[in-house]
Amino acid sequence: MRKYHLVRRADSQLKRTLIYYAIGILISLTIGAVILISLGINPFEYYGRMFTIGLVGNRYGYKSVEGLLKIFVPLLITSLALSLSFKMRFWNIGGEGEFLIGAICASIVAFNSSGLPNFVTVVLMCLAAMISSGIIGVAIAALKVKFNTNETLMTLMLNYIMLYVIRYIGDTKADWNFFLRKDSERPIFGSFPESAVMQGIHFGKFNLLWSVIIAVILTVIIYIYLKFTKHGYEISVVGDSSSTAKYAGMSVGKIVLRTMFISSALIGLAAALAVSSAGTVSDTITNDVGWTGIIVAWLSKLSVPAVFVTAILISVLQYGCQAAATQYPAIDINFADLLQGIILFSVLVADFAANFRLVKKEEAKNA
Amino acid sequence: MLDVLTLFLFNIIVYNIPLLYGTTGEIMIEKSGSLNLGVEGTMAIGAVAGYLAGAKCDSLLVACLVSFIASGLVGLLFSFLTVTLQANQNVTGLTITTFGVAFYYFIGNALSNSKGGWPTLSGTGLDAQSQAIHIPFISDIPFVGKALFSHGILVYVGILIAILMWFYFNKTVPGLKLRSIGENPAAADSLGVNVAFYKYTHIIVGSGIMGLGGLYMGLNMGGTFEGSNCWINGYGWISIALVIFANWSPAKAILGTLIFGFFNTLRVQNAALAYTFPNTLGWLTKIPSHFFSALPFIITLIVLITSSLTSKGKSGEPQAIGRNYYREDR
Repeated sequence: MRKYHLVRRADSQLKRTLIYYAIGILISLTIGAVILISLGINPFEYYGRMFTIGLVGNRYGYKSVEGLLKIFVPLLITSLALSLSFKMRFWNIGGEGEFLIGAICASIVAFNSSGLPNFVTVVLMCLAAMISSGIIGVAIAALKVKFNTNETLMTLMLNYIMLYVIRYIGDTKADWNFFLRKDSERPIFGSFPESAVMQGIHFGKFNLLWSVIIAVILTVIIYIYLKFTKHGYEISVVGDSSSTAKYAGMSVGKIVLRTMFISSALIGLAAALAVSSAGTVSDTITNDVGWTGIIVAWLSKLSVPAVFVTAILISVLQYGCQAAATQYPAIDINFADLLQGIILFSVLVADFAANFRLVKKEEAKNA
Repeated sequence: MLDVLTLFLFNIIVYNIPLLYGTTGEIMIEKSGSLNLGVEGTMAIGAVAGYLAGAKCDSLLVACLVSFIASGLVGLLFSFLTVTLQANQNVTGLTITTFGVAFYYFIGNALSNSKGGWPTLSGTGLDAQSQAIHIPFISDIPFVGKALFSHGILVYVGILIAILMWFYFNKTVPGLKLRSIGENPAAADSLGVNVAFYKYTHIIVGSGIMGLGGLYMGLNMGGTFEGSNCWINGYGWISIALVIFANWSPAKAILGTLIFGFFNTLRVQNAALAYTFPNTLGWLTKIPSHFFSALPFIITLIVLITSSLTSKGKSGEPQAIGRNYYREDR
């Protein structure tokens, strides 16, 4: 007989969770430091450079912040959107695919928008992206609700189908293909007309894009939606137990469909903002937010304020690695992904330690 | 003309056997009720570890062992996190993929920039041992001999693993117990099956098998490391799709590998085919290659949806897949 067994802690204290998480992250950074030392690099210098994202002693520092925000905004919105569906235990891992659908539809509007006012174009782009992504999300949710089709695998397939769709668009020279530059022999994605490019507010040289402001406002709205509205309450009940929700008289199917529409539409919005900020589209426009967003949502335990903070941290990690790569050619940008993975593994362990404890089995049981 | 067809069949097998490794490995894991989305990363780690060890020791056997062990360790990590620590399987699997692919690039870049450089394959014992084996008489049979019986040892091992696994699942007691865990872990537990032990061992072995597939891909690419293109190149994801297509059966996985491999090879060789048979297959060049790339995923999506529309009884999908088993929740 095993002497110990695991018991789920009855209470979950925020303080304890935070302490365990901090220890987990510290251990991951130590593992990262060991890797750096083995390559003959001073980890303090490297981490210092990474976490300051190349701001210190750089007169183009404002560019770093702008670059960081371009990574941050899509990641934040996607992570929030994914946590909405994860809260109902709906495993939407199709963030990449939904993002690409949104990006393609927003680009269709953008490439045909010359002459329209900037504000109108960007709003149209967002609407096109949200509706198209939302419809796909609802279709998948409907299959899940009606026939119990495995949504994890469906959304996974969607990611790859969409990836090849955008690659096809990007590689095919044809008269109909307005995505590509007309003046180039080789197929290259064209730039959006000026009307479709995201504008911002200038603070000196620094340009604060509207997409950042939209993302912050959206975070607040989603927080309120989940915390204080009937819809938000329904989502959490469905997540806890769909049979409880059913007996409470909630229409589970309707809630799942509605939430998946919102979730996918938000990812579409993230895509529209991303293509508009970039001023073009490409098959790497997602920057893996569909995958990273899952990690962010999970690290944050699906809490909106935590998603906001974690998305900043992960963006700093990724952008910081890019910034440090110029100084340290031996370390490529994959170090960010490597570290991200180690952090998640440690946090999963920390999460367990915060929620379970070992209990000695009573000797009486064996006697 | 026959040459083109022979080469076509030969290429289907040579380039797509890694799918069989990935798929059989994933079937073993999914049959225990766990969904491991880390196939791509597990294969990448097995590939890089096995290749480096094999190149150093000049031995294919060492390469296979190391790649099996390295990927098995990844499987151990997955089982520790999901079985013992009850972590979410999707998140853990996806992180393994992110981590594994980053590991591949990181090690590759670090070695390429170091003094010794990335070890080359050509001329090593590893290269010689992984070359096609000429079987007397059988390999000399026209058409069939070249297409089916002129392969490296790892091709035959992959097929053997699939056959043995089918036998294991369907004809042995441990295989039956494993399937019962995948269907209903609580029931299996109450009948005295050690659920955690079964999950651990099968996740580790399944991951190890994936690692061999990764190693195969590396050897097939001539062992050259490219900073922009991972050896695994999405085959891990196709393997996950293939598990569904094969309806969780290792025997059907062989057939599925050939079918997916057929489309894959069609994508690469459509020009050669269209050139040889201009009248019958000339239209092939009109189909964009991306369509063939997306086809495995499109087919799988359709299979997924249609099989859920029809009766659940026939599906080989383990009913408890993706959900962790925690005894006290029983």
